[in-house]
Amino acid sequence: MSEQKISVTASPAVPAAAPRHRDPLALVVRFQSLIGLVVVAIGGIIFSPRRHGQILFLDPDNIANIVRAVSETGIIAIGMTFVIITAGIDLSVGAVLGLSSVVTASMMISGGFGLIPTILAVLIMGIVFGAIQGTISTRFRLEPFIVTLAGLQAARGLALVVSGNQYINISYGDGPGLAPPVFAILGERLFNNTVPVATIVFIVFAAIATIVLNTTRFGRYVFAVGGNERAARISGVPVSMVKISVYAITGFASAMAGIVHAGQFNFGSANDGMGYELTAIAAVVIGGTSLFGGAGSMVGTVAGTIMLGALANILQLNNITPAMQLLATAAIIVLAAVLQSLVRRREGLGR
Amino acid sequence: MSAPLLSVTGAVKRFGGVQALRGVDFDLKAGEIHALLGENGAGKSTLMNLLSGVYTPDEGTIHIDGQQVAFNNPREAQAAGIATIFQELDLVPTLDVAANLFLGRELMRPGGFLDVPAMRSEARRRLEAIELAIDPASMVANLSIGQRQVVAIVKALSYASRVLIMDEPTAALTVGEVDRLFDIMRKLAASGVGIVYISHRLEEVPQIADRVTVMRDGRVAGVTEPHAPQAELVRLLVGRPLDELYPERSTKAGKTLLSLRDASFRLAHESAGWQPPSGVSLDVKAGEIVGLAGIMGAGRTELLSALYGTGLSGRWEGEVAMDGRPVRLDSIRAARAAGIAFVTDDRRGSGLMLRMAVGLNLVMSVIRRISPFGLISQRRQADAVKQSFGQFDIRPKNPDIAVGALSGGNQQKVVLAKEILGNPRLLLLDEPTRGVDVGAKGEIYARLRQLAAQGLGILVASSEMPELIGLCDRIVVLREGRNVAEFIGGVDEHTVLDAANGREA
Repeated sequence: MSEQKISVTASPAVPAAAPRHRDPLALVVRFQSLIGLVVVAIGGIIFSPRRHGQILFLDPDNIANIVRAVSETGIIAIGMTFVIITAGIDLSVGAVLGLSSVVTASMMISGGFGLIPTILAVLIMGIVFGAIQGTISTRFRLEPFIVTLAGLQAARGLALVVSGNQYINISYGDGPGLAPPVFAILGERLFNNTVPVATIVFIVFAAIATIVLNTTRFGRYVFAVGGNERAARISGVPVSMVKISVYAITGFASAMAGIVHAGQFNFGSANDGMGYELTAIAAVVIGGTSLFGGAGSMVGTVAGTIMLGALANILQLNNITPAMQLLATAAIIVLAAVLQSLVRRREGLGR
Repeated sequence: MSAPLLSVTGAVKRFGGVQALRGVDFDLKAGEIHALLGENGAGKSTLMNLLSGVYTPDEGTIHIDGQQVAFNNPREAQAAGIATIFQELDLVPTLDVAANLFLGRELMRPGGFLDVPAMRSEARRRLEAIELAIDPASMVANLSIGQRQVVAIVKALSYASRVLIMDEPTAALTVGEVDRLFDIMRKLAASGVGIVYISHRLEEVPQIADRVTVMRDGRVAGVTEPHAPQAELVRLLVGRPLDELYPERSTKAGKTLLSLRDASFRLAHESAGWQPPSGVSLDVKAGEIVGLAGIMGAGRTELLSALYGTGLSGRWEGEVAMDGRPVRLDSIRAARAAGIAFVTDDRRGSGLMLRMAVGLNLVMSVIRRISPFGLISQRRQADAVKQSFGQFDIRPKNPDIAVGALSGGNQQKVVLAKEILGNPRLLLLDEPTRGVDVGAKGEIYARLRQLAAQGLGILVASSEMPELIGLCDRIVVLREGRNVAEFIGGVDEHTVLDAANGREA
């Protein structure tokens, strides 16, 4: 073999690695969510209803709506990506969102806390909640599926206790019983009333998460734990710490989504966020992250999230029933999974 | 002369642009044990998969008893009397031995109920036919790898085949088990079964084979008789004469690195019949390669893992010292801090992140070093990878390929290179060349000797006696978890075996 320059690709975003030959199918899978997003966008343009010759799908208000609607599940999906790359799962995220919205509202309205202490307290609560789940899972060697299923119930229960099973409406103003008006910004748009603030939170969080996953020691540990936990342990990776951390991250993300939720809708509700865990998992999987762990990409998750939102939007614009929307989402999840499985088989790596 | 039992003529098989077989002729007579040798990638697995119906040939024919056959799937090959024991055993770990043996063709009672007692007694009969005391009611997950291999072999034999293809059946067996297996194979051959025996262990060939076919680069490099000199076989295998497989020993041992005196430990998961060691005493000096010999269950693997702080229940007892100072090796962290690195015997299960790139695997044990302030430095990472590629001839020379796509020998080089990057002072190796071809073995031995010459202490456990004898400066024999004898390298194999089996010389 001739002398070859040896280097490692700069970005380990998809450490599943390129196969020996540039397999076109592998490339499709690597960028499947981006390709899917483009396909959905093109489909959206083609099938969009028009008004006065304007394509409604491309209307700035419509686009803003799409990216605003996906920001909460998007924030959660970002956290979920870390967990799934370690071959784990977190089912508690939607419930933690509900709990966080309730705690946010009641701290400001009935507790009389200021904005900053409230946000800090809720974020810390999310981190602690996730870390507890991670600790139980690693300490007692329990499947994260079970632990976070219990966590889901616990968070909903706590939310009901805190809220007394009531909506907690957030009214703005100065003085006790009122939230600082600046909190309402989460429901608004910036830059000439174009970009929703919730979306900005989502994108900033996604950017930070991308950097953490791809360029830090911690990010590398996350891939290692999911790639082969035993091998990681033998190589000196602090496996338990990494696992606890990723659940703390999903807890943090869910709490942040809960705060955004409370700010967007001006209330806290114990029952909100139901099913968000499944939407988030779907976005992560469509984004090309393997449920078997060890491979995944944050950019894929963002694209997958927006794609699901755009798909729902175009179906809504055409007055297609929610039932059909569910079926379309199902088909896309299966397609994404089948593509990944085909590539794995090509690489001869089994499942 | 009558037609051979099985013959392959002009077999060609391509995978995409890669030609795995380039016109292979092969034949097997009834009652013959035919060894099939070849380095990884030589095409022997592809040939085996053609015979067992996993692949169909692009060109060429397969005949059984002179009749042309074509297999579209493994079931058709089985129906024609060809049974294959693959290296990755097709056993269900969560079922018991009897259930595995009868999987898919369970014995039934009237009414559609499983006849468990009948299956268990039949399983016991078949297991005892190869003189192995495995309880048919025990779960496969609780068996050792060697015992599982035996169950898989019994399972394949029970298809009452005319042709038996065995892919490295002895890779995980102890010497005694290998002898028993060979007895069975000879008995089967005497009854008219033709056996294709694929192995990496050249020294086994004269013991068992009637004829040898050596493959290289998708072709038959030569057909020879089993008593051909080993150098001749190696020349056919690698296509050029290979220098001595084992490097010359160095005699310069330095200061004592590791020292155990009456040391003992308990395992977190003790399998039935395992005796915790009542006291191990041994030394490993800098620059020295020390071998651990012993029959299966003697505690070789357990001792190595315990020295690395894994699988322990509680603490080490007795004297454990590094550099003459007492040290607590109760956790991986402590072992690594003491400069100890460990390479497992199970590279796929606990050595590598198979789906991740070679380069990412290589730097796994030095992540801390390549990430100042917690950020991965691409430059340091590339330097580390370059260092590994300079040290080991890992093929293909591309750090971006998933490590799972590499051959066994190259995967093993990656596992070794990974630990060596961490600059350990003491390297613990468990079965360093299991499932590795001869060329890669030679390279690994040479590299280990070089590292030792630079002052690394190496403690290596192996079930391959020639490897221990050829590679090591000293060999410590374990029995029931204790050191019972010690020999210098180059000792006679039988002397070591006698000590391992508890027979007085």
